[in-house]
Amino acid sequence: MNTILFNSIWVLPLLTVLVCALIPASYSKTLRTIHVTSATLVLGIVCYLTYSVYALSGTPSDPAAAPLALRFFTDIPWLSVFNAHYIVGADGLNMLLLALTAFIVWAGVLVSLHIKGNQKIFFALIQLLATSVYGVYMSFDLVLFFVFYEMEALCMYLMIACYGSGKRDYGGKKLTLTLAFGSSMILATLFGLFFESGANSWNLIEISKTTLPMDFQMWAFPLMFMGFAVSSSLFPFHFWSPDGHSAAPTAVSMLAAGVMMKMGAYGCLRVAMFLMPEAAKIWLPYVVALLIFNVVLGPFIALRHKDLKYITAYSSISHLGLIFLGLAALTPIGLRGASLQMISHGFLTGLFFATIGMIYERTHTRDITEMGGIMRKMPFLGVGFVLAGFAGLGLPGFSGFIAESTIFIGAFQQDSTITRVVTVLAILSITTTAVYILQTANRMLHGPLPQKYEGLTDGTFREKLVIVVLVACLLFIGVCPGWISEILDQSIAPIFAKISAAGL
Amino acid sequence: MTNFTHSFIIPDVLLLIFPFVVIGIRLFVTTQSKVPWRLANFGFIAIFFLLNFIPLASGNGKFFICNWKVDDFGVLMREVLMVSALLGMWLSKDYFEHGADKKPQMHQIAEFIGAIAFATFGGFVVVSACDLLTFFLGLEIATIPMYALAAWNKRDQFGSEAATKYILMGSVATAFELFGFSYLYGFAGSLHFNEIQAAVASGTNPLLWVSVLFLFCGIGFKLTLFPFYTWAPDVYEGAPTPVTAVLSVTSKATAIAFLVVLVYGPLSPIQDKIAPLIALLAGVTLFVGNLGALKQSRLRRFMAYSSIAQAGYIMVALLGPATMAKTSIIYYLFVYAVSNYLAFFVFGIIGHHREETFNSLRGLSKQNPSLGIALAISMFSLAGIPPLAGFFGKFHLFFSGASTGHYTLVAFAVLNNVIALFYYLQLIKSAWVDEPDNHLNPLRLTKRQRNVIILLSCSVVVLGFLPFLSDNIFAGFTH
Repeated sequence: MNTILFNSIWVLPLLTVLVCALIPASYSKTLRTIHVTSATLVLGIVCYLTYSVYALSGTPSDPAAAPLALRFFTDIPWLSVFNAHYIVGADGLNMLLLALTAFIVWAGVLVSLHIKGNQKIFFALIQLLATSVYGVYMSFDLVLFFVFYEMEALCMYLMIACYGSGKRDYGGKKLTLTLAFGSSMILATLFGLFFESGANSWNLIEISKTTLPMDFQMWAFPLMFMGFAVSSSLFPFHFWSPDGHSAAPTAVSMLAAGVMMKMGAYGCLRVAMFLMPEAAKIWLPYVVALLIFNVVLGPFIALRHKDLKYITAYSSISHLGLIFLGLAALTPIGLRGASLQMISHGFLTGLFFATIGMIYERTHTRDITEMGGIMRKMPFLGVGFVLAGFAGLGLPGFSGFIAESTIFIGAFQQDSTITRVVTVLAILSITTTAVYILQTANRMLHGPLPQKYEGLTDGTFREKLVIVVLVACLLFIGVCPGWISEILDQSIAPIFAKISAAGL
Repeated sequence: MTNFTHSFIIPDVLLLIFPFVVIGIRLFVTTQSKVPWRLANFGFIAIFFLLNFIPLASGNGKFFICNWKVDDFGVLMREVLMVSALLGMWLSKDYFEHGADKKPQMHQIAEFIGAIAFATFGGFVVVSACDLLTFFLGLEIATIPMYALAAWNKRDQFGSEAATKYILMGSVATAFELFGFSYLYGFAGSLHFNEIQAAVASGTNPLLWVSVLFLFCGIGFKLTLFPFYTWAPDVYEGAPTPVTAVLSVTSKATAIAFLVVLVYGPLSPIQDKIAPLIALLAGVTLFVGNLGALKQSRLRRFMAYSSIAQAGYIMVALLGPATMAKTSIIYYLFVYAVSNYLAFFVFGIIGHHREETFNSLRGLSKQNPSLGIALAISMFSLAGIPPLAGFFGKFHLFFSGASTGHYTLVAFAVLNNVIALFYYLQLIKSAWVDEPDNHLNPLRLTKRQRNVIILLSCSVVVLGFLPFLSDNIFAGFTH
């Protein structure tokens, strides 16, 4: 039963699209109701399953998926021509990411109920995007994984270019093409994984049982890792993200920054590092060097920007850099911190973009120099923004603190000078983060209220609900991280076992 | 008839008789365009199903002087060609009908259908030939009706120019091929493929290499490989739209079948030696095609470059082992045919009311959402974005190429996809992002056009991730 529910996570959004395709666009209220119901239903299912995974921890997982501790494991032959299977399963890591996605999709649907333009197509695209993200996190077959991974390109461009603001065509193209560039780097190495491993299978678990030839790993690992890192905006492939996010409509920014950018980091961990641990050990120190840009310079760039979405985008770049710091540490604590950061950052950036979108809908500008005194007119939205900021700068009590401190501990454990130096720099850069977040909040929320904003109103019930739920998630992770860590550890253990077993 | 062992020839004979029947009816019975149209619909679909359901569809034999062999590749290739012929015919229908305010754009539907049938029959011959003579005959039967088709609007100056270019280039290509064949014959001392294969296996000499080079040059014209692709944009632009579509699918399919038959037949002993040549042609062709498409603003010129690039992608598969390459090429041709015809259907509707340029697409998604979606589906499929069929097609091709370790070429081809995505996005942008232009004539869809577009769109969406088509093709090779 749970397995069927698990598979329905990605099927339901797709079904919603099909059902809605049959309803004429003029029934916009019906369409909206269906989409909200569907997103809420999926959220419910995912929460229930996440709890099940937690409740099941300690009991033996599916033996077919060993060494990974997978629940709800499904393996059905799919495309016999190249032996691709439909393989899905849940361990703690992907279950939590699925939960994150479900929350963000739900919030995204709620905040865009009154979007301008053809709503029917917009919601269909959101659901398609949700399908693709769910699919990426669920699948353990590389073909399936890649199909879902690249599906996003199709939705992203149309959503940004048709429903976005500002330089929407430019931003959409930049985002889509850069992501496509990343996924083509991944695709190029996938074939190598199939033929060089000798497993004659795309099954991640089967391939992980073989040892790939070293000369293959040496070129394939950087290609694949960077391919994934493109979507997590690792320097030097970060340039798409500020333009893309600022052009995108609110829901798309939330989804892109909240869950899609995690797909890259997830892929780095789950596919690249898990399958090619030997090369990972050699190459990851170079990645750490790249991180100096992300974690140290990112906040400084955010400091100089005036556009709220650009500030948040650069803040995302720096936070995602921390994920890579955790991954590159190659210690269990580092990996756990990286996973925690993926989830924590998803919620906080979702909240960030949600509040920015709501404020932008009212002020019609995202330039912080033109705003001021918003707190007086929109206390609820203002507080939501400030709370997201606090979580972002790592205030204890919020999820950001737990995730970042775990990463720093994990990274410092590794006795390589460069990692430690970067870790110290990263810790120091939190100060810069605090500066730009407080400065932004100050300029935007306090000070004199411009005349034109006299008539603005605070959030509606729907908007307040979104903010409350997302803040609750941030607090929940921050206050009881043990619960999350327990789920995470059982899925990180096999990955770390494979990495530590790899000799050089 | 109890001992009739040559039932595999039935579809071929039917297809050969078919144009004579259609043209005969047009000449002697009735001049109504409905009759040949219905007959053609029935005939093409019947032949397609015959190919599917005659279990004896493969076999070999000798007819007159032609050695004939129908294997799995032959049967599947015939199906691809039939699909292309059928879709091409459906696409052409509107061009023979009277518009509300003007005369039909093309005349003589019976002869048109006949020409398509002949071209398709040529493809049939190419995939079943067992000796150089039959092979050459097939290629010519496939090509000559195309010259006529390209010049169908004989009063249109661009059409005539296109047809002239096409005939001149095609003749040069034919000359190259004949030259290659003659050297191959000189080398092996026989026309029969099996004997040529034996001779090639026993040793090579410069004569063989000259012949291979000329053969590739010759087919390079027809498959629009670098550096012989330059005719394609002009011809695609000048010929009537349905002819362009047929040209880009049937003619390309025939040409690639020619290469498959050669590479995995007579030349199979030296496949690893010609692999660098294939890899080079593939890489350069897809790069040049993609670069060329970047700056186009007219739809059919754009499609010409796009199809040049597609030819490059198909060539990648020729590096793999026989079964894998054949499966992937057949599968790709199917999805390419469907995606390409879908695009041409949309362009055709636009071309009926407006100029065929990117500008005419403005606001398409707002005024005709279904056309906008169909266009997006076909473009994303051609760009190879999952879950659409085009992605799985390309995946097959790359899989075949990578299986022999050509990772560099596959990586290059995959990265080229990003360039391809860029120009397909340009087109999607015109349709989806640009504001509607009120100076453009409104578009009207007939019920038939609508149905065909829905059918093709659904096929493009479904054929990829449902294993139905690829499994059947695969089963065809491994039963």
